[in-house]
Amino acid sequence: MRKHKLTIITLAVSLVYLAMLVAWHCYDPSKGFTEALPGADNRPAGNERKADDVLIGEFFMKDSAAATVSGLTGEWPCFRGANHDNIAKNETKRTLVEGEFQDLWSVETGEGHASPVISAGKVYVLDYDEHLSSDALRCFDLQTGKQLWKRWYRVPMKRNHGFSRTIPVIWQNLVVTIGPEGHVMCCDKESGEMKWSMDMKKRFETEIPFWYTGQCPLVDDGVLVLAPAGKDTLMLGVDVQTGETRWGTPNSVGFKMSHSSVMRITLSGTRTYVYIGVGGVCGVSAEEGKEGEMLWSANKWQPSVVAPSPLQIAPNQIFLVAGYGAGGGLLQVDKQGNGWTAVIKDSYKASEGMSSEQQTPLNYNGTLITILPKDGGGMRERLAMYSPDNLHKPVWTSAADERFGLGPYMIVDDKLIAFKEDGELYVYGIEGRSMRLLRKQRIMDEGIDAWGPMAYADGMLVLRDSKSIKCIKIFQ
Amino acid sequence: MDRRDFLRTCGSLLAGGAILATGGLLTTKSKGKSGDVFWQIDPFACTQCGRCETDCVLPVSAVKCFHANKVCGYCDLCGGYYRPSVKDLNTAAENLMCPTGAITRKFVEEPYFEYTIDESLCNGCGKCVKGCTSFGNGSLFLQIQQDLCQQCNECKIARVCPSDAIKRVSYDEAYKLKDHA
Repeated sequence: MRKHKLTIITLAVSLVYLAMLVAWHCYDPSKGFTEALPGADNRPAGNERKADDVLIGEFFMKDSAAATVSGLTGEWPCFRGANHDNIAKNETKRTLVEGEFQDLWSVETGEGHASPVISAGKVYVLDYDEHLSSDALRCFDLQTGKQLWKRWYRVPMKRNHGFSRTIPVIWQNLVVTIGPEGHVMCCDKESGEMKWSMDMKKRFETEIPFWYTGQCPLVDDGVLVLAPAGKDTLMLGVDVQTGETRWGTPNSVGFKMSHSSVMRITLSGTRTYVYIGVGGVCGVSAEEGKEGEMLWSANKWQPSVVAPSPLQIAPNQIFLVAGYGAGGGLLQVDKQGNGWTAVIKDSYKASEGMSSEQQTPLNYNGTLITILPKDGGGMRERLAMYSPDNLHKPVWTSAADERFGLGPYMIVDDKLIAFKEDGELYVYGIEGRSMRLLRKQRIMDEGIDAWGPMAYADGMLVLRDSKSIKCIKIFQ
Repeated sequence: MDRRDFLRTCGSLLAGGAILATGGLLTTKSKGKSGDVFWQIDPFACTQCGRCETDCVLPVSAVKCFHANKVCGYCDLCGGYYRPSVKDLNTAAENLMCPTGAITRKFVEEPYFEYTIDESLCNGCGKCVKGCTSFGNGSLFLQIQQDLCQQCNECKIARVCPSDAIKRVSYDEAYKLKDHA
């Protein structure tokens, strides 16, 4: 009897477990689930969006904040300021604010190095919105930092030392931007209204550089000068109001797009657009009636990566510089009869003379000012001043503990402002062929990769690191 | 009436009375009246920290996403609907922000879409709200669904809310809605 009882219990338990096992196998926990598949939003066929379907300027949002009625008139309208020299001059010379520089406002940005421009009390920056995978032109009030409007378009990208790069240009009523993937957008600077756009990558078959487009747009007398350096077109001029092409320069030299920007330089009395591409440096006529004509080119100095722009240091001489081991070079351009010659007169490693990795040096009162690159030998990352006559031996350098990494620098009146890449601001008084440290102050507590150039207007300095933009009052 | 019947009658009356009293109280509570207070989220103080999803005493939080249609931009590229860095703008699950599929949308006209929240699926995680607030008009916001809320004497979410956004408000003010602000 006891044996039977045990057998029955064992069988019963086994059956229960078997039943549970069968039930477990038969039970479908996902029964009733609905698959989320494409097309559930009733979007009409043929209107599907893909990653590379870029509709430049597609979205717009006006913020509720009202612009401060300020009467501010200061301008920093483009890369390196109104005179393209990275030097700001107040109408009357100003003195530094007493005590510490005051924070006026700060805003978070997408990761990147795009810097702002300033026009009539408003700040414009082409940010990258990581969440929306979009280039976003944002307009802020200079005094309060409140966002006034934003226009954006979707451009999915992968992070590569951040996303954003370039500085917009203001021309009359317009603001023009070039996105990291070469998308050109023109908007009304007050309302944000879309005017026109251009996709350089698609139109000119431009090969976008590995670290994205660093080219900042240049407007010269109502003509937007772009260097797509594509399959057939090296450079073109576009009517900035309408977006219509005025002239083009064939890419006969086969240059590719670099991170450098086009600079307008007058050489031997001839207005010239100078561009350092991947493959060499060239000069294109900016003279009326001859716009777009290739004047000269040189391929003896052609680093694989170039970020700084060409800097004129004499009526017929251009200083060329690039990072990543390239060092510096001196290009002499002369007019000979109806033609031109462009010869590399000097070329040296970064440790052997004036050089720079990302920033374009300054030419101020007969001196050249730079921050030496990481491969600049014992003086690496120090602020240095050179005479144009001797690019190999500095006439002055900052102290051994004053090193700035890849940080930006500019001049306001007679003061040099350098922003260390970790967020510390240095102000030097320029005294002939030397400088004296006047003040230093930490602006960003944990500044990271503060590489974007600064903008200055109306006593206020707008600067950034890789994740935020800050405005400080610097001059009285 | 013998003693047994007397006790049975008393017990029945007591039980019936208790049931009626509880029902009456619940009815009064759910209807609400002037002077009563309810737990509410201030949508403008909320930082979408995610505690509403995890700290409510209910198995699925009483906090739900609400949508202010008047505020919505009806965007195609909606920061509350799509996950960051999606490749394609379509309704495939891998592209969507909401982990429970509680947000649906319908095409209105190019390039506008109408968004709808299915409250029965929403778990109050606030991911869509964060996306919409950070990158859009902020039309999505979290609020406590009153017919689900237990009106605990001390709201467990309010205790951990880092922005102190959950407060008792009077019946006259409820709900705190964005499009009524």
